Amino acid sequence: MSLLKKNKLVFIFTVVALLAIGVGYGYQYMFMSPKKVVEITPEFTADADEFNNLMDENLPSWIGKVVQISGKATQVTQDGILLNGSIYCQFENSQDIQSITKNQIIVIKGKLVGFDELLMETKLNQCIIIQ
Amino acid sequence: MTTNKILIVLCFLLSLQLQAQKYYTRSGSTQFEGSEKAFEPIAAINTSTTVILDTRNGNIVSQVFMAGFQFKNALMQEHFNENYMDSYQYPKATFKGNLDGFSMANLNTNNTFDLNGVLAIKGLEKYIQTSVTVQQQDNRMFVSGVFFVSPEDFDITIPSIVRDKIAKQIQINIDYELIEKK
Repeated sequence: MSLLKKNKLVFIFTVVALLAIGVGYGYQYMFMSPKKVVEITPEFTADADEFNNLMDENLPSWIGKVVQISGKATQVTQDGILLNGSIYCQFENSQDIQSITKNQIIVIKGKLVGFDELLMETKLNQCIIIQ
Repeated sequence: MTTNKILIVLCFLLSLQLQAQKYYTRSGSTQFEGSEKAFEPIAAINTSTTVILDTRNGNIVSQVFMAGFQFKNALMQEHFNENYMDSYQYPKATFKGNLDGFSMANLNTNNTFDLNGVLAIKGLEKYIQTSVTVQQQDNRMFVSGVFFVSPEDFDITIPSIVRDKIAKQIQINIDYELIEKK
């Protein structure tokens, strides 16, 4: 009898503990912030020109994906840089731009958001400098 | 004779080129907010909006990518892209419109303009009428304003379970700093 009672107590305690853990994880899942680019492994690593060809083939599949691209910084502006004249990259930390000089060869990782038909450029967001 | 004609055409094209006064940005800020009181905030910001303003006639075009909207909450961002906006099928929203009576020369005396145009989201178009302010400082033009849209207008269905948490009218704030396009 007492053994059963003890077991029951243990059982209840275990259930409550598991529930608490579950709720804890659930809560974390509900309220976590979006992953940073730095935490995500790039789905694709390539040269800027090579990448443009791929984009022409199937753009929708690249939207929202993190990619790593190497190229030449053909234009450096206050808000971002242009790689090979066709890929516009904005940075996670805007101070990063100051370390880039025009015509420098650079490798960046960023999130692809789409192809801008007004300016005919591919846009990357939250970029970080890899090399 | 023919070379002369070609020269004339060339000169004409060149003069057009010189006249084209365009201001643009690639990193304009577009924000929306659709929170109801007492619930967690439903808001996101996109800082890579492309905007082009033709200062001769006040025509304005802009484009914003859905995947570029950043939320504080990962789950909300995922739902926004996958369930509400279908960002893979409809990656962008576009706006084409005109600043009524825009004149670059009179910006000092008048910098509030009616903006009329068509906003396209998810392949559906909606006529928008609002007022924006345009300010010029050095070689930059600052365009800012607020307007409201309703999710229903763009066929965005909100599940009943969250219907009370999302405002019927979503507030959109625009804040663009344009530079001269060369």
